Amino acid sequence: MAVGVSDPVRTLYRTLLAYGAFATLIVVAGVAEYVHFEPFTSSPGLHAKVVGIYLYDPATKQTSGPGRESFARNEQFAAVVDWSGLPDSATFEAVWFDSFQNIVGSVGPGTPGQLRNQTIVPAEVPQGLKYHLPGQYIFAIERIDNGRPVEVIGRRVVYVER
Amino acid sequence: MFAFSVPTAANPRPRNRPARYTLAVLIGAVVILVVAGNSLLDYVFIDSIPGRATLYGLVAVALIAVGTYIQARAFNRDPVTRRRHLIRAGVLLGLAAMLWLLISDLFLFAQSAGPGVAAVCALACVPTTAFGLWVVRRIDRNEKEPWRLVLVAAAWGAVVATSLVIWAETFWDEIAVNTLVPGPGLDASNAFSAGLFEELGKGLAVVLLFLVMRNEFDDVVDGIVYGAAVGLGFNFMETITYMTNLYAIFSPEGSGGIAAGFQWYARQGLGLFMGHATYTALVGAGIGIARQLPSRRQKVIAILTGFLVAIAAHFSWDAWLTFFPIEGSLFGLVEVHLRTLVMTGPFTAGVIVLLALGLRNESRALYDQLRKEAAVGAGAVLPAEVGILASPWRRFGERLRALDKGGLRAYVRLARLQTAQLDLAMERWHRERQEIDTPLEAEQELRSEILTLRRKAAF
Repeated sequence: MAVGVSDPVRTLYRTLLAYGAFATLIVVAGVAEYVHFEPFTSSPGLHAKVVGIYLYDPATKQTSGPGRESFARNEQFAAVVDWSGLPDSATFEAVWFDSFQNIVGSVGPGTPGQLRNQTIVPAEVPQGLKYHLPGQYIFAIERIDNGRPVEVIGRRVVYVER
Repeated sequence: MFAFSVPTAANPRPRNRPARYTLAVLIGAVVILVVAGNSLLDYVFIDSIPGRATLYGLVAVALIAVGTYIQARAFNRDPVTRRRHLIRAGVLLGLAAMLWLLISDLFLFAQSAGPGVAAVCALACVPTTAFGLWVVRRIDRNEKEPWRLVLVAAAWGAVVATSLVIWAETFWDEIAVNTLVPGPGLDASNAFSAGLFEELGKGLAVVLLFLVMRNEFDDVVDGIVYGAAVGLGFNFMETITYMTNLYAIFSPEGSGGIAAGFQWYARQGLGLFMGHATYTALVGAGIGIARQLPSRRQKVIAILTGFLVAIAAHFSWDAWLTFFPIEGSLFGLVEVHLRTLVMTGPFTAGVIVLLALGLRNESRALYDQLRKEAAVGAGAVLPAEVGILASPWRRFGERLRALDKGGLRAYVRLARLQTAQLDLAMERWHRERQEIDTPLEAEQELRSEILTLRRKAAF
């Protein structure tokens, strides 16, 4: 049977196509959001050096021991950054993200000259909690342009065990 | 008087398998390959899965081996024996797949908090998911889908779909985490991953039902029922995962039970229908509409549109959830509900609109076909029965009267008669629209069956 004018399935089909048009708008908005925060601009080719992730003592504000890739929930840890070699004409920020993508520690934004004395970036336990949340933590050194991060120029991923 | 020909079988199938079966076999083969690949990756890369999981895997392998052997032997036998062997082989292969996937899933998703907590979480989700499935099946008021297919759909969502997506999402996330700027861009990327892979994994079940169980897949209403059932199954397993995971995370802080309880309410209460059930119902709606469209081009467009809407709905929730932050105060409880209503409500409303339109179409078509069947005078549908059969409430009223007069047996017999009469009307509807590939004898056999049921119901 051909889908004629009076065929009620045609109404269903058209309704679905209308939903499809709305869904296309959502997908386009999603892609636009992605492109806005991940612009396809040419990168200046900068690389920041993350020296390592170490145990951290909040009392002395110093790191200790060898670099590690995983920590227990009750251990404090921090990243050590070498800001040298980055141009003073650009702005940078170093940020810790926990397994829920929440920011749990940062330094900056600032130029390498301004950040020279802030080489240790601790990951902090979220307010109201006694321990770090378990899971994957990302430490990212981001280049900031017009007030927002446009590029990650250094990155380390560590795991907080359950 | 209507002339009956001698039927060759109670429910004859088309003499040659339609081409859609080939497509179903291809999809099935791809699913098996992906599942096998996932199992291999689990074994190689997930060192936290205890060795005993591989023992369960061996049982599954043994079942597959025996099932394949029986299936191979079946092709050298007479039709009756062949059918029996094929059923045995199918049961063994199904058991093997479910065992393999279930064990793999349990270790993958629920190990974080230990087996005791996982069992409690699973038990907490059983009544709510069962209620969801009951409601979803009830909404198909004219011709309810068989429980076996609804449960198969839910099992696919819980076990197969979750297994299909786990590695795809893990790889995508791994690449994204190591290349993208953390923040909204990464959130959008992860949301695309979840929307795309999870809706594809779940939607495959509805596609396979559409290809293989065409007799039980009539229109948009059936598509919504099967899709929602798959979504409820997926939601069941995902809830257990989130409950156990958050319990493990927050129990050292002393709030593991609260965190798990909140997840249960958010996913098994508030989000039972406004979540995965809605997304996969949209996939099912697309497939259900395609079922009744005349051209292949329109069918493909309808199916793809259903997937697109489901992916967009899922994406919007995952990507833009952070735009609706929840306060830590008591008002946060109100915000949680408002957020679900605002973000998923429109899509659920969209499903309800399609469902209402589909039910209206179905009711009108059945009334028309019942009227035409009564006019034939074959006795399968009497003119006085048309109005009753066309109304779910009047059908129920008649069954209650039968119960009052003849007890439970009379009720059951009348229910069977009414179901067969509606099946006949549905068959006529599809034949009139030229969207059926079963031979005409099936319809004639149904009439004969109805006359038998009518005689039994009269006693």
